[in-house]
Amino acid sequence: MTSYTICVFTENTFGLLNKITIIFTRRRINIESLTVSETERKGISRFTIVIKEESRETVEKVVRQIRKVVEVLAVFGYLNDEVVYNEIALFKIPTPEGAKRLDIETVNKTYKAWVVYWGLEYVVIEKTGTEEEIFDFFNYIKPHGILEFVRSGRVAVSKSSRSLVEYLPEEEKYDYLSYN
Amino acid sequence: MMTREETTTAVLKDPQVLNESTELMNGSHAVIRALLAEGVDTIFGYPGGAIMPVYDAIYDYQDHVNHILVRHEQGAGHAAEGYARLSGKVGVCLVTSGPGATNLITAIADAIIDSTPMVCVVGQVAKHLLGTDAFQETDVIGVTMPITKWNFQITSADEVPEVMAKAFYVARAGRPGPVLIDITKNAQSEMMTKPFKYDFCHKLPGYHPRLVPKREHVEAAATLINGAKRPFLLFGHGVKLAGAEKELLELVEKTGIPCASTLLGLSSVPVNHPLYAGWLGMHGNYSTNRLTNECDVLIGIGLRFDDRVTGDVTRYAKQAKIVHIEIDPAEVDKVVKAHAPVVGDAKEALRMLTPLLNPNSHEEWHAKFKELDAEEEEAITIPELSANTEKIKMAEVVRMLSDKTKGEAVIVADVGQHQMVAARYYEFKRNNSFITSGGLGTMGYALPAAFGAKVGDPEREVVAIIGDGCFQMTIQELGTIAQSGLPVKAIILNNNYLGMVRQWQQLFFEKRYSFVELQNPDFITIARGFGVDGHTCDQRENLSDSLDKMLASDKPYLLEVIVEKEENVFPMVASGASVAEIRLR
Repeated sequence: MTSYTICVFTENTFGLLNKITIIFTRRRINIESLTVSETERKGISRFTIVIKEESRETVEKVVRQIRKVVEVLAVFGYLNDEVVYNEIALFKIPTPEGAKRLDIETVNKTYKAWVVYWGLEYVVIEKTGTEEEIFDFFNYIKPHGILEFVRSGRVAVSKSSRSLVEYLPEEEKYDYLSYN
Repeated sequence: MMTREETTTAVLKDPQVLNESTELMNGSHAVIRALLAEGVDTIFGYPGGAIMPVYDAIYDYQDHVNHILVRHEQGAGHAAEGYARLSGKVGVCLVTSGPGATNLITAIADAIIDSTPMVCVVGQVAKHLLGTDAFQETDVIGVTMPITKWNFQITSADEVPEVMAKAFYVARAGRPGPVLIDITKNAQSEMMTKPFKYDFCHKLPGYHPRLVPKREHVEAAATLINGAKRPFLLFGHGVKLAGAEKELLELVEKTGIPCASTLLGLSSVPVNHPLYAGWLGMHGNYSTNRLTNECDVLIGIGLRFDDRVTGDVTRYAKQAKIVHIEIDPAEVDKVVKAHAPVVGDAKEALRMLTPLLNPNSHEEWHAKFKELDAEEEEAITIPELSANTEKIKMAEVVRMLSDKTKGEAVIVADVGQHQMVAARYYEFKRNNSFITSGGLGTMGYALPAAFGAKVGDPEREVVAIIGDGCFQMTIQELGTIAQSGLPVKAIILNNNYLGMVRQWQQLFFEKRYSFVELQNPDFITIARGFGVDGHTCDQRENLSDSLDKMLASDKPYLLEVIVEKEENVFPMVASGASVAEIRLR
């Protein structure tokens, strides 16, 4: 299985997430992670979707299928080495009295993770990195017990020197649904 | 037929329906004004609670738009499809929320797979009730997401002009398809806050279909075709949708390449044209299927290599280089990998391609087709058409109809054996003459679609060919037809069976006939009950007179023909078989 990162640029309208994800459902492709945010251009959303798939052909077919959605402005598909990517994870670790002390220096220096909140009986540690780095830290911290663990899903930018929004239609042209 | 610009100009001259207004109007009036601005002359619809304000507005516009009251929303959908397929215009449906909308679903699914332009305006509960399980509330946007080219929910009157313009643009641009507009009741009744002004939509940031193909792609295709010893051209619905019939003929006549049609491509090339090789696919011709696996270059134009065309795709034309001319980029490489893909409108592509091709005649190659055609004639066609069975055969009915109408009628076939027989034995001489549910295979399609087609072009003779099973799925539309008085002709080929399923059970399930025999009503009595005249023909010697009587009627007419109970349609590419393994019996 190969990881693919699919970046989808869309107008920001209701129901679009649904219109995109049903294309994966129909082809029985599991979405590993999905994030959506507004881009540097107002009114344009960027979906970052990570899937694992054997066949590059299938991924290409899905990309073409996504392009058919009327509100979709552009779709790009990448292999891991074509993007710079990261995700963020939050760990809620119990710190009851008498428990094994957290080695903050290792957490900071070895794992580049930071405590971002001190509760009375727990801390929240933030770790940014690739999926592998996050799971390395997960394995390290696991013996302390994990109360909650959450990952953001991948965000990625292409290694191309051009801005991806350059490929999108001009700004004034998509601003036609003024009531949104 | 008026062009969109002409109709719009005609509308503009009428003060009641100017596409710009100084007075404020409510959302419902804006919906109708938008339809008129788009040149819509016919609406197929059914009123109900959540669409009543729009129906109230239509009352004022009866001189400008012909609203046809169907008997079931599915009938509205198929009628709009038939209308669109024959007239080339966008079919329009107007129905209420909840069950009104869900009844339309089958027709929408049918329209998307057969690339039929349609705009469905559907009522919805008021905005403040959305998501509350209000009376007749269904999440129609959610339900129709995978089966529409685009859908949108209007929740305020001010949105109407822009969204309607976008709907019509999306429905007809590029590869056509159905668009659904869900309009909340408050948006229908509230006043717009600004005067109505209709601006046509010509492009969208996220949707700009490529019409003119890239020159280098056309050149690559031309090189492959020019180098071919045994080229074979397949054409589909895309040729008709692009209006490229003339350009297609120019190409085959210059190059001498034999051409064959998909189900929805039928009638784009006249069957008596010397370069027309026949029909493709599961029940297509013997030669066209066999030789698909012997050609060296396969040229597909405006088709999507449906599995009913390819049979087992892993054994489909593997020896050939593939040229695929198609407007929808998602269809290229979807099923069959193209060596020379050309994305663009069929007409534009052919205009660019033909001048680059060398004249040729391919006589030896044609002889191979003729050889196999002769085998098929002898094994199937001649016996079918000269049967001395006790009961009439479907093929005889269709061929006699073909002769009597000089191959110039519009045939609307339902789904099943009679559909395949209609496609096989009607000798189409005029383009845009075959309407059927190809991709979805929707039983019950033909009666409403034939009606819609007749509305779309009343000058043409429209004959529906329907099975006894199919007929009972949308039988209520006899009421719509009777009320319109339009001379739609329908032939039921009655074998008291769900014939195609029975055929499969016979051939592939050891004749275990599982729920395929029907106890049918007296169709003629039912038709008369609706006010449609008709009669039954069960003797071969009466068939000719029966068809004459039906064709001579200037009113709707139903002819029931009692046919052989257990006849099978051949040739046949069995499910999972290669096209080369097509069986003659």
